[in-house]
Amino acid sequence: MKKLSILLAAAILTLTAAGCGNNSNNSNNSGSEASNKPAESANATTEATTTPKKNVTIKVFQFKVEIADALNRMAEEYEKETGVKVEVETHGGGEDYNALLKAEIASGSEPEIFNSEGNAALEAYYDRATDLSGEAWAKDVIPAAAGPAQVDGKLLGMPMNIEGYGIFYNKDLFEKAGITTLPKTLTELEAAAKQLEAAGITPFSTTNEWWSIGHHTINVALAEQPDPIAFVNGTKDGSVNFKDNDVFKKWINYVDVVFKYSQKDKLTTDYATQVANFASGKTAMIQQGNWIQGDVDKVAKLNVGLLPIPIDDSGNAHIYTGPANFWIVNSKSKNAEEAKAFLNWMVTSDTGKTYLTKEFKFIPALTSIKPTADEIGQMGVAVSEQAATAGGWHWGRYPDGVPQGWGAAMQEYQGGSIDKDQLFDKLGKAIQEIVSK
Amino acid sequence: MNLRKRSNEWIQQLVFVGPGMIVFTIIVLIPFLLGFYFSFTEWNGLDLDKAKWIGMDNVRRIFTNDDKFWAAFKFTLKFTVVTVVVTNILALLLGLLLTRPMRGRNTLRTIFFLPNMIGGILLGYIWQFIFTKGFKTIGEMTGWHFFELPWLGTPETGFWGLVIVFVWQTTGYMMVIYIAAIVGVPKDLMEAATIDGATYLQTVRKIIMPLVMPAITVCLFLTTSGAFKMFDLNLSLTKGGPGTSTQSLAYNIYAEALVNNRYGLGTAKAMLFFFAVSIIAVTQVWLTKRKEVEA
Amino acid sequence: MTASRSRLWAIAAAAILLALLFIAPFYFVLVNSVKALGEIMVDAASLPDKYLFSNYSKVWDIIKFPKALWNSILITGISVTGIVIISAMTGYRLVRKPSVFNKILFTCFISAMIIPFQSVMLQLVRVTSFLELRANLFGIVICYLGFGLSLSVFLFHGFIKSVPLEIEEAAVVDGCSPYGVFWRIVFPLLRPIIVTVIILNGLWIWNDYLLPVLIIGSNKDLTTIPLAITRFFGQYTKQWDLALAGLTMGIMPIIIMFLMLQKHIIEGISSGSLKG
Repeated sequence: MKKLSILLAAAILTLTAAGCGNNSNNSNNSGSEASNKPAESANATTEATTTPKKNVTIKVFQFKVEIADALNRMAEEYEKETGVKVEVETHGGGEDYNALLKAEIASGSEPEIFNSEGNAALEAYYDRATDLSGEAWAKDVIPAAAGPAQVDGKLLGMPMNIEGYGIFYNKDLFEKAGITTLPKTLTELEAAAKQLEAAGITPFSTTNEWWSIGHHTINVALAEQPDPIAFVNGTKDGSVNFKDNDVFKKWINYVDVVFKYSQKDKLTTDYATQVANFASGKTAMIQQGNWIQGDVDKVAKLNVGLLPIPIDDSGNAHIYTGPANFWIVNSKSKNAEEAKAFLNWMVTSDTGKTYLTKEFKFIPALTSIKPTADEIGQMGVAVSEQAATAGGWHWGRYPDGVPQGWGAAMQEYQGGSIDKDQLFDKLGKAIQEIVSK
Repeated sequence: MNLRKRSNEWIQQLVFVGPGMIVFTIIVLIPFLLGFYFSFTEWNGLDLDKAKWIGMDNVRRIFTNDDKFWAAFKFTLKFTVVTVVVTNILALLLGLLLTRPMRGRNTLRTIFFLPNMIGGILLGYIWQFIFTKGFKTIGEMTGWHFFELPWLGTPETGFWGLVIVFVWQTTGYMMVIYIAAIVGVPKDLMEAATIDGATYLQTVRKIIMPLVMPAITVCLFLTTSGAFKMFDLNLSLTKGGPGTSTQSLAYNIYAEALVNNRYGLGTAKAMLFFFAVSIIAVTQVWLTKRKEVEA
Repeated sequence: MTASRSRLWAIAAAAILLALLFIAPFYFVLVNSVKALGEIMVDAASLPDKYLFSNYSKVWDIIKFPKALWNSILITGISVTGIVIISAMTGYRLVRKPSVFNKILFTCFISAMIIPFQSVMLQLVRVTSFLELRANLFGIVICYLGFGLSLSVFLFHGFIKSVPLEIEEAAVVDGCSPYGVFWRIVFPLLRPIIVTVIILNGLWIWNDYLLPVLIIGSNKDLTTIPLAITRFFGQYTKQWDLALAGLTMGIMPIIIMFLMLQKHIIEGISSGSLKG
């Protein structure tokens, strides 16, 4: 009997809790101030509906754990200004964001705004992504950043930011090793590596993380193709293979140089350790992006520069920039128009802009926002300086699963269990496994 | 009278089994049956109306054109055999040892049980940290080759890394079950054996083992199903890498359904997996049950 | 005699060595939970240069620890209680009335243990949101009941088989109803296996991540400790200093619970063996 009463008590408890669980949507304390309408000029079509209403909740489903707190604060400011509640749900840690987004959609709760990568990753969401090309800010988007979300002349998402990678080097260590002129070709890069080694410094910090070697490293060869898109399509339908491709043949030499002059335990170095090795001055160079700034700062204040990646001796080398992700406005959600207004506010209002640069530390994807070095750090500035000549990010042109397969193949190559011909075979096979039906 | 008894039986059945059945149906059975349906479709997992019926195509594809699935299958079998054997032998030995009168017995029991407290994805993160950072430091200090291996960096170390963590986490629990069973062996039997001059080992073999058989059944079952279904650990420790060399079946299914956006194919794999495990599990339970001494 | 004595010593020494190996990972967790992130990255094994207990107070605030702890306790407590009661009843009935239906049911329960969760995940989300079981405590408890039942029924089933029928028959003669027989006679006898079921399910639910994310992830008022801690694991960055402190705080309650329960486990076991 005692047990039964416990059960009963438990049942009552749960019922009451269930009663409050769903109320959060209505708990909006009817934002007192009147509508601080976002200042915009152009675009009357969408404008007419963006007048903020009370009792509206915009749900944002995002995965950048790094900006979660700042984003929440920004959402609060937005609510103060407009009375529109923005609920941010962040899912990053460890579990697959895409799986959770699918679950969220499967549950019937369609978030107003969610993150997605461009190109192939966006395909599953084509019928959800609202066309944003008519928005006031759309004309200011850096074209390279908009690319992956442009389909048939429509802009299906707002790029979150741009990010770029190349070879970051520790200026002090270069000086210590007596490197006076920066390497511009592959031969010079190897010479610099030798010089560093002679000075007792490990030249490169590498990782075995699949996304670093599967996305970024391979992308170098994709972006250096005379026509990257044609090459991508060729590999998909099987008319082009990696083994006979001149760019890939050159590119593998760069890969070899990096692996050869890396730390001893590169096979077990995760991203955090890779960055820590660079930050603590154990290694002089790292092929990574500006996103490492925060982690480097936690260890030491470094004096860094950014080298373009040379795959041959032509002197024609680049860094590679792209938008990591887009904000997608979900057309199947209840408040899509409010969501547009929120995004607009984020990139046009002073508060929004300040958050983007100062708090999120984003390199803006819009030309209308000008960040300073204080805000986005030395690495961010280095990237934006070379952004004009930078190559793009092309791995997203392949369906999800392919870069993972590449990462796997690269890990094997890195471990020495396959040679370069086998690597090229596996790169092609990884595509066929996913593409072929 | 008879009728009343019948309706009484009905009410009893309802009271005792009803709640369990309802919950089970909602949470497990219906989603499972839906999954069975999806396994015959081509679907990206998003909008239900886009699921396209393709019959046996998924199954055909798995059998004819899916090396990774079969690699994952082999990996999982190997992993299961190794971990089940190692875990149970270790747990049984610890159980025998820690039921003997000795000082610090309870402390030792607690220590062996502690790893069970950590679970889920955090377990993998912590061990990744230990393998990549802790082992390296120990290797530098001691110079032992074992610690200087490229842990998790090669298929072999990835496999054994998973084994180590699995055994580390599960042994304590199995030990507790074995202890419960060994303590449950009637004292008079043990005493009688000692009076008859049996050595400890003989007592173990002739008296304890047969009576502990039900516990062995339970432990084998728990470890087998745990090892065969291993997912969290796989995801957070090796992510199936290097390459896909340490991809477990559950992980392969997950990746197919939710990373490659082929939910239909993923569920088809899950169904095959389910039937495979059913067969293994039923056989195993059947085999060990026959050896049990009915108490 | 001395030979077997020294052999015993050797075994004990081996056990102690093994025990050290078993707790070594906890050393890493504890030591690094009071270090600065930079120091962890550079040297994970040694003792901290400077003890940073502020990691703990930071985590306490960031994850709103008291609230998360309460949620974890509530969800685990109610779910485990429910699992014990329902699966004990079900298991009892399945043993005592092995009708064809009940045999099939039992097989269903056993089979369910091997369903890979990932393959029912999206459907589960659909079903639970249809029944409005998402984002509330009741819903997550129901989910745990559903997924926890199989193993628990299996365990109870095995145990109840060894409970002699004679006691029950005597109770019936004394005028006990079938429910009275179960609650007053059988249930108390199940103590050892109840402890087992509690531990097994309790640990699972306490540490679980994926199910709560799916079911209550959107309701921040119900965030559990594992959910709260994942905020330290970013796409690129793992904040080990805070994560390890959070982890320690997360497992502390359950370790304390275990130490308290340990007496009961042993008691339960011995009372079970007296009867056997």
